[in-house]
Amino acid sequence: MVELSNSELKTLEAVQKLGNRTSVEKISEASQLAHSAIMRSLLKLSEENFIQIHEETQTHVKLTEEGASYSVNGLPERVLIKSLIQLGGKAEIRKAAQHAKLEPKLTPIALGWLRKKRWATIEGKTKLLKASRQPPTGTDEEILKDLAEGASPVIEQLNDDKRKAIMALRNRKLLETRETTSRTVEITPKGKEALEKGVEIIDGISQLTPELIVSRRWREKKIRKFNVTAPGPLIFPGKIHPLRQIIERARRIFLNLGFTEIRGPLVETAFWNFDALFQPQDHPAREMMDTFYLSNPKAGKLPTKDIVKSVAETHENGWTTGSKGWGYKWSMEEAKRLVLRTHTTAETIKYLSKHKEPPIKVFSVDRVYRNEQLTSIHTAEFYQIEGIVVDKGVTLRDLMGTLQTFYSRFRLKKVKFWPCYFPYTEPSAQAMVFVPELNHWMELCGMGMFRPEVLAPMGIEYPVLAWGGGLERIAMLELGLNDIRLLYGNRLDWIRRTPLCQ
Amino acid sequence: MPVINLDRQRFSKYVGKEVTSDEMADWLPWLGFDLEEVGEDKVKVEFNPNRIDFSSYAGVARAFKGLRGWETGLPEYDVKTGETLLNVESAVSEVRPFMLAAVVRGLKLEEDDVIDLMEMQEDLHWGIGRDRKKASIGVHNLDVVEPPFTFTAVEPESVKFVPLDKAEKMSLKEILEKHEKGKGYRHLVDWSPKYPLLEDKHGNVLSMPPIINGELTRVTEKTKALFLDVTGTDYNAVKNSLNVLSTAFAGMGGTIERVLVKYPGSMVESPNLDPQMMHLRTTFANKLLGLSLTDPQVIEFLEKCRLGAKSASRSHIDVLVPPYRIDILHEIDLVEEVAIGYGYYNLKPTLPSSVTIGKQHPAQMKANIARQIMIGFGFTEAMNFTLTNEAWHYTKMRRKPAASVKLANPVSTEYTIMRHDLLPSLMKNLADNKHESFPQKLFEVSDVVWINNQLDTGCQRRLHVAAVSSHPTSNFTEMKSVTEALLANLSLKLWKIGVAKHPSFINGRAANIRLRSETIGMVGEIHPEVLNNFALENPTTAFEIDLEEIA
Repeated sequence: MVELSNSELKTLEAVQKLGNRTSVEKISEASQLAHSAIMRSLLKLSEENFIQIHEETQTHVKLTEEGASYSVNGLPERVLIKSLIQLGGKAEIRKAAQHAKLEPKLTPIALGWLRKKRWATIEGKTKLLKASRQPPTGTDEEILKDLAEGASPVIEQLNDDKRKAIMALRNRKLLETRETTSRTVEITPKGKEALEKGVEIIDGISQLTPELIVSRRWREKKIRKFNVTAPGPLIFPGKIHPLRQIIERARRIFLNLGFTEIRGPLVETAFWNFDALFQPQDHPAREMMDTFYLSNPKAGKLPTKDIVKSVAETHENGWTTGSKGWGYKWSMEEAKRLVLRTHTTAETIKYLSKHKEPPIKVFSVDRVYRNEQLTSIHTAEFYQIEGIVVDKGVTLRDLMGTLQTFYSRFRLKKVKFWPCYFPYTEPSAQAMVFVPELNHWMELCGMGMFRPEVLAPMGIEYPVLAWGGGLERIAMLELGLNDIRLLYGNRLDWIRRTPLCQ
Repeated sequence: MPVINLDRQRFSKYVGKEVTSDEMADWLPWLGFDLEEVGEDKVKVEFNPNRIDFSSYAGVARAFKGLRGWETGLPEYDVKTGETLLNVESAVSEVRPFMLAAVVRGLKLEEDDVIDLMEMQEDLHWGIGRDRKKASIGVHNLDVVEPPFTFTAVEPESVKFVPLDKAEKMSLKEILEKHEKGKGYRHLVDWSPKYPLLEDKHGNVLSMPPIINGELTRVTEKTKALFLDVTGTDYNAVKNSLNVLSTAFAGMGGTIERVLVKYPGSMVESPNLDPQMMHLRTTFANKLLGLSLTDPQVIEFLEKCRLGAKSASRSHIDVLVPPYRIDILHEIDLVEEVAIGYGYYNLKPTLPSSVTIGKQHPAQMKANIARQIMIGFGFTEAMNFTLTNEAWHYTKMRRKPAASVKLANPVSTEYTIMRHDLLPSLMKNLADNKHESFPQKLFEVSDVVWINNQLDTGCQRRLHVAAVSSHPTSNFTEMKSVTEALLANLSLKLWKIGVAKHPSFINGRAANIRLRSETIGMVGEIHPEVLNNFALENPTTAFEIDLEEIA
């Protein structure tokens, strides 16, 4: 026995009664059911193969404004030829058009169609228009007339002649076509059999309501089965940006390893960004080509005189650090210039100048700037990962170990360290990491121990281990991207498509 | 970073034994080189600008031999006494006060050597000379000119000579105006009434430093004796350039001969290739590297790095630093040499023993709470640059440009100022996503920068939250509910909503959010003209709140 709801049964019975292919409107008349109820029932019945739904496209025709005006006055070529015949079958174009009271802009259209339809000839030199007789009404004119009288032809049901005429009129923009899909319904042998054998009617519940639950009336009814495999509409959750996921992962790793987060300004004086880090004032990295300088505001204030003086002397002659220094005249003005910080180390050194009791473990995953054109590998703004360890007796090997532990949490297990150079660290190294997906070694970050020329002016008495590198490189690896611009393009389809928990 | 292209066979010649390119690729990184390309017979490497002595085959080979243990210790440079005299006249004291020189004999140059020489010269100009400002180099065929030489400064039109790569004589003024190098470097001299010139005994022009050499002294593979001139505005840079250059020629098999440089009132013998003495405490090296090396070990590793080293006392080792190692400023630099000689690959990672507890920055905590709430409302996070331009930030938003943080050297017209609120960024995101399905609900919790004269930098980084909702039925009520629910979940109680006028919002559909007496944000329906400006088709509502005022 088949289970159907009341309206499904009524629908099926109506389809059988109506016979052949029938429309939803007719089913509605016969069954007294609402359109929406019939649509729902039809869906279910067709899933059960009790009925078959046929879909057919129909092309309808409608006059445009221009077409409607011609349907009253006649096509311009008809208007012109009528006048010409009245003028004796021979006249100058200008005169014929005047006699026909044809709008000037329509005259060339009328002439074009007279020639195309071979209704008249034009004699070159004198521009004389000639015709022998009034041509019979064309198919296109008949169609215009029918439409004006309210006919609603369906193109698929017309003969070739008329179809061609309609296409021609559509090309002249005198009428428009519109497609509709009509559904007809037919009962299948399986449906007939079901009706013959009898159907169990269930008065099913489609939507459970508070009333049904509280009154417990749901017990008296059957809860209807849904097609749980049918596709639902697509929705997207609100979510965190994929790059933020990577930032948060880096932050969590630092926090788990016992690091404290620091955060500093985006605009810095050149003093903290460069000078405090023993980068000489004519160092190429300080040039306009690499660093963004500000035109408003232009210059900032320097820290206490003691700090400034010791930094200046360290640059000039090494001060008390035991270094030779860079051997040039240090400029206070240059140090006051404002820059968009090129690394988070600007904040690190400032923090260490105020926090001196070891152990200190600090980090930041934050925004920095480089004067770069936007390309597939460079952006002017990006995120830098930075980690710092200050303690009695920490060593270069401790730095290597800390860094290895950090990156292993990003599933980057194979790390090696090559010697490298940075103005503010010594010894220095760069960490190379093996990327299985790419099958090669990639440069991951720079690292080293702060130089005495950096430590002494700030009064830092213990070794400082530091490492820093771009976050985007890791993000691109994790997210499988090869163009950094995608990270900042905020393309919704990409954000929506990229799953959380990479 | 500078690059050197090493041909395997030529490199082998310099090293003095056959090396494979695999061997080069394996070992060069342990000296601090970055591998660019490794081919069968070519290895292209980058080197750090502090090691400008790596700009020649001779320099790389010298270090390579040391690290492999094939030739260790301090390279000795025997500078022969010479008769060549150079007068530096007081006329140059304003425009280019310093000059040093050297003579090289006994070279057998090949065509490739001449090309390398040019590249090395460029590396030195960049690395030490700061694009020829502090120092610049000229290398001349000594046999076509006759000492004594004179470095002087002359009137721009008083002297004519044939510059390199030209066929005709040009005056110094014409060279600055017409010659490619003249146009490129004229700013180094054109402010001076007199231009620098290097001449021989007969008034033959060797060069017009730092612009161009004369065609007369062009160096070819037939050249047997060289005159090296280095001029500049910084004595150390001049000295360092000459040291790196002349030791490289010595490495190519040349004999270095002294030049007597006569300044008004003083005399210098040039070049001075004596090593410099420094001290290294083994305990200091061990403490930083986390090793327990003995003095003999430390000496061995320093020698592998081509330094001279011997035990001097119980407390330290005497280290002799060759003249081309201009990067060594401090004892700490010797520690890195020990590490390189020991081999970075031998350093086993360890972990610091101190125990600390991690702590988030309060601003990041606050930002993450705001993000969490916005995601709860079904909004998706956008991440935008803080750099923008006036058209996006003001004009499209129907606002007049206000005082903003401006770049002095923007790289493109798209990024010229820093944003002081987030909303324009989100509007641009909507414009970029027009073809995606709606509703579109975006938010950003991020940085903006305000002008603030109270602070040392005159600028203040502030944390904002902003959101937009764009769909056919987006309306004020929807966004106001979101805004107030956000405030409530940020533990605020006493905010006030008031009528506000703002050019980016529809008049009568905009409100400000006040906390105590401060306005901390706005909520409203975006003005249709703004929507048109961004070519948006759906009604859009938005809010922005400054999180700085919220604890």
